[in-house]
Amino acid sequence: MSLALQYHRSAGRYFAARALSGTRAGGRLAGALASNVAPLRLVEQTDPVPADERWVRIEPVLSGICGSDLSLLTGRSSPYLGPLTSMPFVPGHEVLGRTLDELPGLPQGSRVVIDPVLRCAVRGLPACPACLAGHTSRCDHITGGALAAGLQTGFCADTGGGWSQRMIAHASQLHLVPDSLPDEIAVLAEPLACAVHAARRVPISPGASVLVIGAGTVGLLTLLALRKLTAAGEVCMIAKHAHQAERARQLGATQVISTEGTARTLRRSTGALLVEPELGEDYLLGGMDLAFECTGGAAGLNTALRSLRAGGTVVASGMPSGGVDLTPLWYRELLLVGAYASAVGASAIDTSAIADEPAQGDFPEAIALASAAPLDGYVDATYPLERWRAALDHAASAGRLGTIKVVFAPGRG
Amino acid sequence: MSSLRAELRLLRHGRDWRGRARVPRSAQRWELPENGDDFPTAWARTAPARALRTALQQGVLKPVVWSQTRPVVHGREYLEGVRGPAIFIANHSSHLDTPVLLGALPRRITEKLAVGAAADYFFDSRATAAATTLLFNAFPVDRRGSRRGRSLAAELVEDGWSVLLYPEGSRTVDGWLSAFKLGAAQLCAMKGVPAVPIALRGTFAAMPRGRRWPYPGRPRVTVRIGRPLRIEANETVPEFRTRLVRAVATLWAEDDLGWYRALRAAADDTLALPTGSRRALPTTASGQPAHDHDMAPWRRVWESTRPPANDGPHPVWPD
Amino acid sequence: MGRPGFVLDVDERTPPLLMHEGEGFRLERLPLGSRVIYPPESLPGIVDLEGAIQHALMHPQGSDPLPQLLRRGMRLTIVFDDLSLPLPPMRTPDVRQRVIEQVLELAAAAGVDDVELIAANSLHRRMTPAELKRTVGERVFRAFHPDHLRNHDAEDPTNLLHLGTTAHGEDVEINRRAAESDLIVYVNITLTAMNGGSKSVSVGLASYASLRHHHNVHTLRHSRSFNDPPHSAMHHSYDRMADVIGGQVPVFTIETTLNNAPFPSALRFLTRREWEWNLTDQASYLAVKRSNDLASAKLRRQIWQATEAPYGVTGVHAGAPSQVHPHTLAALHRQQLTEVHGQADVAIFGLPYICPYNVNSIMNPILVMSLGLGYFFNLYRGKPIVRQGGVAIFYHPMRPEFHPVHHPSYIDFYELLAETTDPVMLETKYEKQFATDPWYIHLYRTSYAYHGVHPFYMWYWGAHAMQHLNDVIFVGGHRPTTARLGFRAASTLADALELASDTVGRDPQISYLHAPPLVLADVR
Repeated sequence: MSLALQYHRSAGRYFAARALSGTRAGGRLAGALASNVAPLRLVEQTDPVPADERWVRIEPVLSGICGSDLSLLTGRSSPYLGPLTSMPFVPGHEVLGRTLDELPGLPQGSRVVIDPVLRCAVRGLPACPACLAGHTSRCDHITGGALAAGLQTGFCADTGGGWSQRMIAHASQLHLVPDSLPDEIAVLAEPLACAVHAARRVPISPGASVLVIGAGTVGLLTLLALRKLTAAGEVCMIAKHAHQAERARQLGATQVISTEGTARTLRRSTGALLVEPELGEDYLLGGMDLAFECTGGAAGLNTALRSLRAGGTVVASGMPSGGVDLTPLWYRELLLVGAYASAVGASAIDTSAIADEPAQGDFPEAIALASAAPLDGYVDATYPLERWRAALDHAASAGRLGTIKVVFAPGRG
Repeated sequence: MSSLRAELRLLRHGRDWRGRARVPRSAQRWELPENGDDFPTAWARTAPARALRTALQQGVLKPVVWSQTRPVVHGREYLEGVRGPAIFIANHSSHLDTPVLLGALPRRITEKLAVGAAADYFFDSRATAAATTLLFNAFPVDRRGSRRGRSLAAELVEDGWSVLLYPEGSRTVDGWLSAFKLGAAQLCAMKGVPAVPIALRGTFAAMPRGRRWPYPGRPRVTVRIGRPLRIEANETVPEFRTRLVRAVATLWAEDDLGWYRALRAAADDTLALPTGSRRALPTTASGQPAHDHDMAPWRRVWESTRPPANDGPHPVWPD
Repeated sequence: MGRPGFVLDVDERTPPLLMHEGEGFRLERLPLGSRVIYPPESLPGIVDLEGAIQHALMHPQGSDPLPQLLRRGMRLTIVFDDLSLPLPPMRTPDVRQRVIEQVLELAAAAGVDDVELIAANSLHRRMTPAELKRTVGERVFRAFHPDHLRNHDAEDPTNLLHLGTTAHGEDVEINRRAAESDLIVYVNITLTAMNGGSKSVSVGLASYASLRHHHNVHTLRHSRSFNDPPHSAMHHSYDRMADVIGGQVPVFTIETTLNNAPFPSALRFLTRREWEWNLTDQASYLAVKRSNDLASAKLRRQIWQATEAPYGVTGVHAGAPSQVHPHTLAALHRQQLTEVHGQADVAIFGLPYICPYNVNSIMNPILVMSLGLGYFFNLYRGKPIVRQGGVAIFYHPMRPEFHPVHHPSYIDFYELLAETTDPVMLETKYEKQFATDPWYIHLYRTSYAYHGVHPFYMWYWGAHAMQHLNDVIFVGGHRPTTARLGFRAASTLADALELASDTVGRDPQISYLHAPPLVLADVR
């Protein structure tokens, strides 16, 4: 028996959270909603048991709180994802942990990060066409096999999740962390892998101008991946808070702009024409080549669509919430592309124009990047599970409080 | 002179909706440790709260529980000699245990009774904490470490309150008895008060872990109250605890074996008692002692939910 | 309980911080990256204070126990610190009362008849009978007042005795009765590191002839700071004078130190760290601030001046002053010392409503200046909190109001400032005139006025700061008054920093000294 934060089925609480977070006051009190209305509770669970010798028990050392977790808890996430989860589950898919069982090649007590996608190999199924091609983030059999439905560890009733003292993982999900990498940087491996995946999602021609919207964890790590793995030229970042802007400059952003008047600022650097409609945001005729939307909000996607040149590409990295006017997509013949999680095999489109080595899987690439990047101080708040309300409160207002990422340190079981 | 609104805005800056400020990074080194059981419960023992609680318990709780189950209480007469504070201990298998006990014990006892409730479960959010404290006169007991939860029980006993504790610590998963923790026995020894053993049967079957309401059909629940026990002069606390375990197990077995046979089984040591981490069922239908490693999980639940022998009304006409 | 002092770095999570400004206070949001120097938390006071005093008297440092120093037929003089300490005044019974009562009981047991009690008020104003009674207690007052309990009169030529000069040629002239005693028992409260030790007798019972040797611009500019006796030219002078005195009359001193509890528990939020304010603290802050702002000036003054501090005593040491004072300072540092690394470009001080010279009185602009540029600026050891050429920002309304009875010479000094604010010029041209003016002397001796020269000393108190700083800005200050004193005024902190940017640029390093309660910054 050990402690875990459990998300359980409660239609009442889900709709209450959804309704409240839709109001203006609710938006500002997102943290309070997530910690009090969401159907989350601290329980003593029976530890999940490994099914066979390919599965190991994991003791989470650090486990991050992601924006998608907060969307889930405030009821902002889409019902589309409902069938891809099995309740009750323990959230937490950004996990740095220690193995408690032996595996060939991985001794007990190894420090590992977990690739949370529950694909065919993990579920004990023969590989679907997507998994065969290496696009494991696109696995079709996400609801079948030996496990209950669940798109990732942290949304599945059988695997447990990071916000607990015990969980289980399949051998193929584990990636060994080098000893030189401190815990606080290693826990960023999963979001960094997603950023690597997003950066490789579309070909980026050398010198292309890129707009990154959002300077939270997703945005900053995407900027890092773009600088290290692609031949992008000018990278412009939209950051809301001063400390985020500073980190963006540290990671190599060419320009950091605030959320006010973005179209005007971009107009100057791209030489485009500015159009001011009577209703709706200003937009550009002309603009950047690519945009990475890393906030998950409708406003960010709106800005992305309105800041690109005709034929440009928007990569949606953040889980979207809320609708947006797609007229610019049609009129400017833009490409809107989704980037979800990380993939095991190399992306089918090889974009390593800078690097000479062949592209590796997203996770190994992320660990390699993390070892060299200035990621100290990204995790500056650690909470035990018992203080989960304070942790969620902090995570919901992280930007305003000068923090990038908040993590749980579940402690010994 | 600034306006009231400006003052309030200044006060709210940097503080969350509850009016608490987060500790600045450079002050974290000198942060005062946050004490978990700082939920004050003394207010629930004031006269107006007591009056309200008596009304709620007698007017709402007891009728509801009695309508959803069929409780039968034995042994109330052993409480006649209990004057002044006592420690009531019972086995714990369901959230029904406390409401049933509060209805089963005589009013003169429950009016001066405080219930120990798990701090991490009942005192997690202020709303549940307030409700539990008001309705049951609960006080937080820290299960995870030996902190102040137990000394609060000592203070209450000193003030003349009786205390209801569940020495197993948490509700069992399968209805079996787990080993008793030392806290209750220690408290008796320290304060020199008697311990009243109580065995509850049928609450696990009526409302096990995971259910929020009893099963329909008014399942039978039996409450057996035993004679108060006092620690002897030369008895150590672990020995006293064993005596308490045996007392509760005997009362538990009484439903199956009858009173005298249960006493004989206790004397002959044929009752299965939980020790260490091994759970046990004092007696099984086969009459053989049962311990944890012998039985499969389904069988454990099976044995502990066996309905008592004389269930249902006696048929008047033997047709 | 008992957390040490520390330096806070203001970040996004820091709530607005409390600043005192005269008879009031406010919350202020400091810019990110500012540093705030917090004092250590208040230590618990000694529970058995009577027992501690008894123990100190029986086991003194560098002296025989007091009963052995007392004998029949001797001339005993008991001297005690005047009402300029402690601040705010301590809740009765005052610790001086307790000490004096115990000393007198020992004296009575030894059969001493010739006992005089003198308040060591030097050139401060005389204490009224009510103030004397509050300090020494009802029993002592009734037994000794008015003939044998009096204030020191520094302008009574018949009651002064010139004891000699020091090696540096400084006159040592003190109260005659005390100098001709067989034993002086000095009852001291060491509130800041400046008090006590050799200062007690050599300054408390001195006359102008003695004081002018160390209360001058040159000495004060070389006292860095006067809260750090080893580096204070003023204290070196005191030491020399104390040697002369000690050679002629034995001194037995009893020194006490207090904890950091200057405000009653209803005003608990004033001494709590702001992020630890619970809802009660926030509500009390709001209630007290609103009622304070809405009260009339007169009522406000009455309420603040009536504040009594629930001070606890952290240490009692008795014996020879040179041996006792190190122990006293150690106890004081334990309560007040905070380590600070590096100097700032801008220092911010919130000035409270009380200084040593306006107890039961009004804080006039010169006293504000001495509190800010004198006392608060010099709450350092090592180096000043702000760098040479930096800027100091003070919070005080600095209204041009004077108490006509207590501070008559200040009113005239204020007119002098229109002519010049340079301390050296004031010293050479006008000090002698004010010091020997017969009307001021008359008021000092018969009324309750500070000596004519006292405003000059207050001005010299800030001489070191005036030399060190490039600019002094008063937030919320009365514009004409601050201009007269040679400073600048701003309405808000943002404006003050704007004014300061002429000197220190747009992104200065800011340090805020979060006092009261008192904190001594140990700047490395």
